[in-house]
Amino acid sequence: MNLKRRLLVSTVALAFAGALPSFAAAEGTIAIITPSHDNPFFKAEADGAAAKAVELGYEAMILVHDDDANKQSQLFDSAIAAGVKAIILDNAGADASVAAVQKAKDAGIPSFLIDREITSTGVAVSQIVSNNYQGAQLGAEEFVRLMGEGGEYAELLGRESDTNAGIRSQGYHDVIDQYPDLKMVAQQTANWSQTEAYTVMESMLQANPGIKGVISGNDTMAMGAWAALEAAGRTDVIVVGFDGSNDVRDSIQKGGIKATVLQPAYAQAQMAVMQADQFLKTGATGLDEKQLMDCVLITADNAAKLETFALAE
Amino acid sequence: MKQLALTAACVAAVLSLSACKIVKTGSTEGSAPAADASGDDARIAALMADTWEPKLIPAITERALTPAALRNAIAGGLDAAGAAHGKPGSGAGAAWNFAVTGEGVVTAANLESRARMLEVDTDADGTADLTLQLGPVVRGSALRDFSPFYDFSGFRDQIEFAKLGRALNDAASARLTVPDGDPTGKTVSFTGVLALKSPTEAWLLTPIAVGVMR
Repeated sequence: MNLKRRLLVSTVALAFAGALPSFAAAEGTIAIITPSHDNPFFKAEADGAAAKAVELGYEAMILVHDDDANKQSQLFDSAIAAGVKAIILDNAGADASVAAVQKAKDAGIPSFLIDREITSTGVAVSQIVSNNYQGAQLGAEEFVRLMGEGGEYAELLGRESDTNAGIRSQGYHDVIDQYPDLKMVAQQTANWSQTEAYTVMESMLQANPGIKGVISGNDTMAMGAWAALEAAGRTDVIVVGFDGSNDVRDSIQKGGIKATVLQPAYAQAQMAVMQADQFLKTGATGLDEKQLMDCVLITADNAAKLETFALAE
Repeated sequence: MKQLALTAACVAAVLSLSACKIVKTGSTEGSAPAADASGDDARIAALMADTWEPKLIPAITERALTPAALRNAIAGGLDAAGAAHGKPGSGAGAAWNFAVTGEGVVTAANLESRARMLEVDTDADGTADLTLQLGPVVRGSALRDFSPFYDFSGFRDQIEFAKLGRALNDAASARLTVPDGDPTGKTVSFTGVLALKSPTEAWLLTPIAVGVMR
């Protein structure tokens, strides 16, 4: 794990060493801690934050916690020991992360959270999160429309420790449950994972051959479900995801998955770095701690404008 | 956060004439709703009682523009129109929310859906330029986001904030009488709120009042 981290750090250092060698030292280092980059969403966050940090004259230290709160705690220790100026964090658990962020605060290092909320306020300086509920409602409205307001469907849930899994599911059901002819016949977690979603979808399909639609808590699970549906010759099933990944964009354009919801991950991470910079220079961001960013529905109509978690104007 | 919201509610209550009653009901401090999700329904119900009829409906009625006036304002730029007549939702990328009142001719109706809608032509060019949401399923959170007295930072999280949006939408659609039979070709009056992220976005109105006139 340490090796992987160092590798990442050195990769980034290499990538940016040539760009701004003298300024980098001037402003210090910003640590950017996210879940594994295996999910392109988190990679886009790290890339967006690192690019903005370098642009503003900082060095970027990119770390991944793999959704392991213990590992996250160790990464915070490393970042504190390395004397970073600020931490950009997509956290490894709403409850479990409070202590780590507090630890950094006690060491005089401000944290700026993206994507996921923690359960305490006043510990992080900013918590900038996508309006997952609003986004889920958008996805559900499109799902309901595609389903013709009726039929059997299945839901793939995200990782339970991630607040967004619950928020999205509630947002979906806030809309879908208002349609009595839509019947949920299966609901299971696939932990945000593509391979797990493939297996879960296979068994859901066996138990419920009448499934007409699948609503998924994120895009990687939607991709896994779609692969299972294709393998079973069930490309008639309507699949809707969440995140706005390039993979799902491509699937939408090929007539596979029908819709997703874009979270502006790249811009969100950049916003967090700008707020960190402002905070380090003036002692305040001038903004509320908790900030929402609206999500955007992606369908065949606008999929072409989507690239790396950002929508072209 | 909660205390802020409560304080705001108390201040509002003291300022309004109906304050006595509200303070009296709220005097049972021991039974205040739980701060976690289990107290959401009670908290939202109290907030609705304090704000929906007494404050939000008058605010919408007072600030409503005619469709023509709103179009004129937007022609000068959405942000300028929003700053003068609207209210932004919480957070980056949120829409401007405008109150609108007027009338128009129904060009199409979908009363079969759970999200019933009327397409309305408000500028007499023969094509619809406004969609009226008749519920019971209502999209968006325009009512909540138009209101100057609901602030996201005063809520526990986005779920509680969303519950308020849903409660407002439900309250609005409960006020509406859905026309009997196909209203296509008839003139309807309406008052409500719409949200715009771009000047070219289609107008989707969440009405607090709709009437078939002729």
